[in-house]
Amino acid sequence: MADLKKFFKKPNRREETANTASVPEGLWIKCPKCGETVYKEDVVANAYVCPKCHGFFRMKAKTRIRQIADADSFQEWFCGMETANPLNYPDYPQKVAQLQEKTHLDEAVCIGEATICGEPVVLGVCDARFLMASMGYVVGEKITRAFEEATKRRLPVILYCCSGGARMQEGMVSLMQMAKTASAIKKHSKEGLLYIPVLTDPTTGGVTASFAMLGDIILAEPGALIGFAGPRVIEQTIGQKLPEGFQRAEFLVEHGIIDGIVAREDQKEMLAFLVKLHTKRAGYAAFTDENSLSAFNFYKKKKKKKAAEPMSAWERVKVARDSHRPSSLDYIYAIFDNFTEFHGDRAFRDDGAIVGGVALLDGQPVTVIGIQKGKNTKENLKCNFGMPSPEGYRKALRLMKQAEKFGRPIINFVDTPGAFCGIEAEERGQGEAIARNLMEMSDLTVPVLSIVIGEGGSGGALALAVGNEVWMMENATYSILSPEGFASILWKDSKKAKQAAEVMKITAADLKELKIIERVIPEEQPASEENLEELAEYMKISMKQFFRRQEGKTPEEIAAERYERFRGM
Amino acid sequence: MFHKILIANRGEIAIRIIRVCREMGIQTVAVYSEADKDALHTQLADEAICIGPAASKDSYLNMERILSATIASHAEAIHPGFGFLSENSKFVEMCQKCHVAFIGPSADLIQKMGNKSEARKTMIEAGIPVVPGTKEPVHEAQEALEKAKEIGFPVMIKASSGGGGKGMRVSESEEDFMDNFNMAQSESVNAFADDTMYLERYVQRPRHVEVQIMADKFGNVVHLGERDCSIQRRHQKMIEESPCCAISEELRQKMGETAVRAAKAVGYENAGTIEFLLDKSGEFFFMEMNTRIQVEHPVTEWVSGVDLIKEQIRVAAGMPLSVSQDEIQITGHAIECRINAEDADRHFMPCPGTIENIHIPGGNGVRVDTAVYNGYTIPPYYDSMIMKIIVHDRDRKSAIDKMISTLGELVIEGVKTNIDFQYELLNNEDFQSGDITTHFIPEHYEDME
Repeated sequence: MADLKKFFKKPNRREETANTASVPEGLWIKCPKCGETVYKEDVVANAYVCPKCHGFFRMKAKTRIRQIADADSFQEWFCGMETANPLNYPDYPQKVAQLQEKTHLDEAVCIGEATICGEPVVLGVCDARFLMASMGYVVGEKITRAFEEATKRRLPVILYCCSGGARMQEGMVSLMQMAKTASAIKKHSKEGLLYIPVLTDPTTGGVTASFAMLGDIILAEPGALIGFAGPRVIEQTIGQKLPEGFQRAEFLVEHGIIDGIVAREDQKEMLAFLVKLHTKRAGYAAFTDENSLSAFNFYKKKKKKKAAEPMSAWERVKVARDSHRPSSLDYIYAIFDNFTEFHGDRAFRDDGAIVGGVALLDGQPVTVIGIQKGKNTKENLKCNFGMPSPEGYRKALRLMKQAEKFGRPIINFVDTPGAFCGIEAEERGQGEAIARNLMEMSDLTVPVLSIVIGEGGSGGALALAVGNEVWMMENATYSILSPEGFASILWKDSKKAKQAAEVMKITAADLKELKIIERVIPEEQPASEENLEELAEYMKISMKQFFRRQEGKTPEEIAAERYERFRGM
Repeated sequence: MFHKILIANRGEIAIRIIRVCREMGIQTVAVYSEADKDALHTQLADEAICIGPAASKDSYLNMERILSATIASHAEAIHPGFGFLSENSKFVEMCQKCHVAFIGPSADLIQKMGNKSEARKTMIEAGIPVVPGTKEPVHEAQEALEKAKEIGFPVMIKASSGGGGKGMRVSESEEDFMDNFNMAQSESVNAFADDTMYLERYVQRPRHVEVQIMADKFGNVVHLGERDCSIQRRHQKMIEESPCCAISEELRQKMGETAVRAAKAVGYENAGTIEFLLDKSGEFFFMEMNTRIQVEHPVTEWVSGVDLIKEQIRVAAGMPLSVSQDEIQITGHAIECRINAEDADRHFMPCPGTIENIHIPGGNGVRVDTAVYNGYTIPPYYDSMIMKIIVHDRDRKSAIDKMISTLGELVIEGVKTNIDFQYELLNNEDFQSGDITTHFIPEHYEDME
């Protein structure tokens, strides 16, 4: 570099004048995540999200309510409860009084009734400014009463959680609030009512171990710290540095503990959609468009075209395995509206091999689950080539039980070479997971429709196929094991897979004849990206007809029919 | 008067402002990005504060950091130069809240003029001519013809969803209007399935002529003559001159007065430019107002004898303009060529790098505004303009000759520049005869587009 500076001479200067430049209080605030200084007005206009790093600022309860509830719809309940001092802890009442004055809140949670996009709900929001929103008697009591009132009035509950945990100043009284709130939630849940906690930064301790984790659907804000023991306590206990991202919302999704993460600007819409989806409807066929029930004409039209050459079983095995064949998600997006994916088995991990969630089939809420295969290596690493692990089956069962609670029909898409065969899968009980699904599915009181869209590989497929009806696509296969495995066991030569395929009776036509399945979905040409829309339309119409047939059946009848279906095999 | 100013910019304009401050005895604070630690503005200012990484959004556009630097260095005012934050009304608002003087107009005015449709509305209300056109979409040919008559021929027929010349036709007169309208509309229907059309006056052989104005707190507004900036490549000006050779003294007066009226209509303060589109018939229409100092301000300074940056600082410090309209005399002719570090053979791709050898011409009537020096490395993150050559002489012909001679002497080695292309433009016969429009480069140098 040229150091010119040392040669430059400075001209004469003006006298320094009184300088008035200064930053007014509150013009800028520091982002708690990236540490950058940001313009407060921008932050407020951006739903309290940092315009630079998209990190979240903590929100006051009232601000949160303004953002989520419809204007002027919030009516606060249970105001003015007195915070007691059961331990006679020094200065505790004074501290509470100070906070009440500072925050204009009477305690760490603010609860009431409101509407969200017109949907009535019970809405509660914790405020971290009040002793880290720790749960003492008043917080526990307000939440308990909220669930009791919601049960009485048959309303869904939405709680924005945030807490340091139990309130130390109230000792064992505080600990008991965990059991008290959990009990009230159980009563609310048994009535078939919806509870959605939204976990915000930070949600820890006794709150995580009680009402925060007991939702039907658990949502979280991006990057929120969620855990039972705080990270500092864990580090001190185990003497190790914790990895980046540990106990963050994304970590919890990956580990199957929560259903999903929703950005602040999307929360209101998401909550309104979920609440609306769970409003009680009679039956299973509340479609908005009745006119499209014209599958017969559709089918006739299809018949006119020249059919493709019939394929051998082995050829169909190859077609069913083709990586270009549409996957479960392809059909889900093509058939349903507003598919909203839920993650995790609430225990160990979110298995990418099984996707599931809620969606609308022409206006009728349904639970949709599918075994997912990838189209390339990257996708396949995520979904393990369509081979589910035990936690995948447990996620599926969790979602099916959720569907049963809310009276939603279930549609399963099956496409797997088989359940994952590996050490970890055995360690976590692959056999138990499949067995549990068979037993629990047999007794579900809502209609279950399973469709084999590609490979139906043995027990790994059956674990999603204990349906009231099971359908197969024309070129799908459904088998006791792969033709290669069959040839290897019976003929000691896996190269004879081709001959094995012909004798195993694994094609849709064979299985229809054996009465293992109810219906074959015709594929004029093997399913592909090109004819996906057509096939999806056909499936959609057929599904609607199926659910129409379930109308008027009692839950017991639905379970009994499924029992009889397998009883006869 | 301020005792210390922070310059929120880089490159030659930062140098230009620092120099004025040095002349006025005002201390200067430069801000710089990590990529600019060796830049001339960083070295020439009394103080220099690093405000972040190379990317503009993290440094020269980082409002909080720039304001923090201002307050920490006890500067009283910020000069924004052009580009970056110069027309950012939010920044101006923040300056105001922090009691820092912004050398330029108020946030409100920037906002008002920055919004094209609002600016157009304001100008119509002030009686300033704008390109006449339909405000509402038209669908029927007969109705469109009536509208076209009101607008005045020739008329440009444009499809609402148009693009790439599709659904666009020029109608010269009433006779050919219906055919052209129907054709444009059916093209639009076929291409975009949309029959929504708009009409506007077709400005023939347009020149880009802009009028410099300067206004103080006391309601004094002066115009300082016009600049012809028709020589543009893809809306980037390349050569600017003052005065414009295509307008008469009478028209000059009229445009100047119109510009002053426009500035007064919005209560303007500080330096500003009103851009007009000048039709071959001498009719002119308001395009937009630039609420900042412009790259090409030196040509105006030379023909008017007024130092615009000095005036900007005076006005921002609450002083009245140092000249009145009567005192402003336009003398001689000035031309500016923008020298960019870019490769003219490769679609004018920016060409950053190290300047290995530089010879800067000088002499009578030659001014060079630049921030580069021997051994300087041009960073790749910012605008590619590295130098402005401005010449002044008694008339246009002499000024062109001087510019040709000057460009012929300019040597920059190490990076590719557009010097040769500028040299070619100056030697072009049509340019020399003054026969220029905004289509000059595409018409004469098709391969340069």
